[in-house]
Amino acid sequence: MLWRKMVRDVLESKAAYLACLVVISIGLMVYTSLNLTADNLWQAKENFYREYGFPDGFATVKGIPEAEIRRLAALPGIDQLEGRIVQDVRVIFPGREESTFLRLVTVGTGQGKTMSKVKLLAGLPLDPHQPGIWVDPQFLAANELKIGEEIPVIVGGRKVFLEIRGQAQSPEFVYPMRNAQDLFPDPRSFGIAYLPLPVMRSLAGEGAQINQLIFQLKPGFSYQDVESWLEPRLERFGLLALYPAKDQVSNFILNQELSSTEATANTMPLLFLAVGAVILYILLKRIIEQQRGQIGTLRSFGYSSREVQAHYLSYPLIIGLAGGLLGSLSGLWLSFPMTAMYQAFFHLPGLQGNFSLDYVLLALLLSVGFALLAGYFGSRQAMLLSPAEAMRPPAPPSGRHISLERWHWFWRSLTVQGKMATRNLFRHRQRSFFTFVGITFCFSMIAVTGYFNNIISVMIFDQMTKVQTHDIKITFAAPLSATGTRRELLKLPGIKRVETLLEAPATLKHGWRERETVIIGLGRDAELFNLLGEDGRRVLLPERGLILSSQLAEALGAKEGTIITLESALLRGDSISLPVYTIIPQYMGINAYMDKEALSRVLGQGELATSALLVAEEKALPLITEKYREASQVATMENRSQLLENFNEMMATYGFTIWILAVFAFITGFAVIYSFSIVALAERKRELASLRVLGMTPGEVLQILTFEQWLLALAAMLAGIPLTLQLISLMAQAMGSDLFTLPLIFEPNSFVIAAVGTACFILLAQWTLLRQIRRFSLVEALKERD
Amino acid sequence: MILTGRKLSKSYQLGEVRVQALRDVDIQIYQGELVVVLGPSGSGKSTLLNMLGGMDKVSSGELFYRQQPLHAMDEKGLTRYRREAVGFIFQFYNLMPNLTAWENVHLATEIAAKPLSAKDVLIDVGLGERLEHFPAQLSGGEQQRVAVARAVAKNPEFLLCDEPTGALDFETGIQVLKLLRKFSREQKRTVVLITHNAGIADMADRVLYMRDGRLDRIRSNENPLAPEEVSW
Repeated sequence: MLWRKMVRDVLESKAAYLACLVVISIGLMVYTSLNLTADNLWQAKENFYREYGFPDGFATVKGIPEAEIRRLAALPGIDQLEGRIVQDVRVIFPGREESTFLRLVTVGTGQGKTMSKVKLLAGLPLDPHQPGIWVDPQFLAANELKIGEEIPVIVGGRKVFLEIRGQAQSPEFVYPMRNAQDLFPDPRSFGIAYLPLPVMRSLAGEGAQINQLIFQLKPGFSYQDVESWLEPRLERFGLLALYPAKDQVSNFILNQELSSTEATANTMPLLFLAVGAVILYILLKRIIEQQRGQIGTLRSFGYSSREVQAHYLSYPLIIGLAGGLLGSLSGLWLSFPMTAMYQAFFHLPGLQGNFSLDYVLLALLLSVGFALLAGYFGSRQAMLLSPAEAMRPPAPPSGRHISLERWHWFWRSLTVQGKMATRNLFRHRQRSFFTFVGITFCFSMIAVTGYFNNIISVMIFDQMTKVQTHDIKITFAAPLSATGTRRELLKLPGIKRVETLLEAPATLKHGWRERETVIIGLGRDAELFNLLGEDGRRVLLPERGLILSSQLAEALGAKEGTIITLESALLRGDSISLPVYTIIPQYMGINAYMDKEALSRVLGQGELATSALLVAEEKALPLITEKYREASQVATMENRSQLLENFNEMMATYGFTIWILAVFAFITGFAVIYSFSIVALAERKRELASLRVLGMTPGEVLQILTFEQWLLALAAMLAGIPLTLQLISLMAQAMGSDLFTLPLIFEPNSFVIAAVGTACFILLAQWTLLRQIRRFSLVEALKERD
Repeated sequence: MILTGRKLSKSYQLGEVRVQALRDVDIQIYQGELVVVLGPSGSGKSTLLNMLGGMDKVSSGELFYRQQPLHAMDEKGLTRYRREAVGFIFQFYNLMPNLTAWENVHLATEIAAKPLSAKDVLIDVGLGERLEHFPAQLSGGEQQRVAVARAVAKNPEFLLCDEPTGALDFETGIQVLKLLRKFSREQKRTVVLITHNAGIADMADRVLYMRDGRLDRIRSNENPLAPEEVSW
């Protein structure tokens, strides 16, 4: 019977319980779906890496003879070592303006290979005597290519046609990005192609040398051991980079995605469960206060306090169970499309949704646990009442003067309703506190959402209008003379401005810390690439010394004036030390900057340019692109619209996350405010009805409740500002990577949006209250003893 | 003798006020009698009823149910006592608003040791046609009859009634009193009835007069009136 009573009680306040149910469900949906998705991803990654032999280490050199490779393979600690040629080549699709690249990666065709195997998904095996390639399926799909067709590319300065023999996937290019500066893989403009070494040699010329080594370690050896043996031996072959598996771009990003998904999966649901638990707690406390007489009656005919408490625990229990089931099952369902979404980003052949009840059970346990906790604390106090006490109406809450009344000017300015409301705030401290926390939470979530939305525009806007203001960037295949190049480019029709850059890959060291990066040499009068300081003003390049991006400075533990050791294959001597001139915030990339001339002096190779930035009249842009598209000195050409497109693509993905966040913020915010309002109304029904009898209009009566809410909301929003900043900085740290940083800037807009949003919820909740007050039957409300 | 109390006192805190509700009351209740406790409001009769029913503990004094000391029992013991021995009837019925008439009675029989059939008892009190009605769909008299049925269906040793007719009009009040008297006479069970309505006292075997938390005097009725004969 008590079961029926509970069900009917719950149905009576169904709106509030429903709100709570939704909050709990969302939390568990996130928990189940993200955890399952992360598991699927992890499983697919482990299987693919293991079966296809992901290497333990990578080395990039200028060129190394094969005899040397055999010697290196015999080094202690090395189980397998293999050399290959990796080269990016341009693809010439007729009629396409933007640059498209294929990364040619040579693969062994022999049997018995266990490291970095390539999984052939469709098509024919490679033939060492025929210029055929395997291509990753995403590139084929994005460019509408089929097996058997030919791709025109420029290799070694001439145009050749490569036959697509099959589509294939390697564990090394699960997330194929051309370079770390790109934010996203773009399968239309960049793909991976695999081909036999002899074919590569015949294309690039017999002189083409192995430029990348991959190796696996013997058990018992660490990467550091092998690195210390390899590094000195590779120096003379022009060592450009030597890094372990964890720093390999595709793997790095996959792992980062995995850990951030897991982190979200295990923190965000707790927030929602906590909110749900608080709502349950408040609702239960209310219903127990309201049913005091019923409790007394139950006790009078022999129900023990334990049985009565169990009865009241069944309220949160049923909500917890329902929320748990609803949330976890919908999460289970959602994990399939989510896993499918990941398939689009991470090309793991075995990646698929899996049906697993583990997280469903865990989610149920979690929600029931939280609900019972809320129930226990919500019902504890009432159960201490003796049955006779429960039968008596509760003593009126102590009416005392509150400390605020000492501020006479403030107190006198309040209407009677205002005074009642203010005293109530302090009388129901606990509920006031929870309402306060709820509104703070709601406000902060909206503010964080707004911040991310704004920040992306800020990042793009800054980058496009203040930092990189060129129309076209041309990167050269090999360094060219700076003055000559500039002169040549200035002859182009419609050209307005040309600036050359000197980019040098280098290792920066400070103490035990070191970092691979690119030093960008800029002219001191550069206008197309601007370095902006903390205050948004241009930073002038020093004659000597480095400017570091804040990310890089942090990675190196460097401050202004720190002496950094610089090593580079382009350097004549061993290494050189330079002071840090200043540190600038940079949202994208981890670069170091120097005066171009100073960098040339340091490198001791004369005035060189590795790329050029151009500004030209709009109608001249296609002509320029066309002219250099097939030039052998040009490695890549990037124009503004392409850059913008990349940014927009990034925005789209983040946009999705932001919308989800926003929806959660809205539901949670409304659930908290709405359910608390309902509780407040139910509790004070009699009091408010009495005021109606005295002749107050429903609006005037509502004022008592609303005044209380607005007062709390104001305080809560103020408290929400520091909380938001804290949350943003936490999330910025979690989401920031080597590729980009989320700037921590104060965005008043977000707070305005959050304040307006929060106010909307409150108004909406109050509107429902007003409707209820209007429906009050005065006689009944006054007669009601419960 | 079913209940014996010696020097029962009770005081409690109500909000910020301390109330001395019962002072040194000596009381005996016998098997099968119908006792009316009469007194003005605030005389301590409700407090006395709470003590007798094991709803609350005395502040001092001794109270025995048969040989069991209620004053020394813990909450568990008192719950068992209420469950097995007592049937309560209140002035405002105290039905669960969310449960139907039958469900309300069944709620009580669920925890009783030797309950009567909830349906039979409801038919007995004349509500056979209204089993599926919610309290809000019943008149005051009907609600109180459900409450009587709820108390009786537990098959308790005695009934404790707190102003059972207080919220009813004369006619329906008489009907409820008839049910109580029937329970007392036919089943030879004890009924303790608290009221400030002197008219009802005429149907009692004994009348206890309360004033200011004290037991003022006791009157025995040689010839109690039938419920239909009393008037107020």
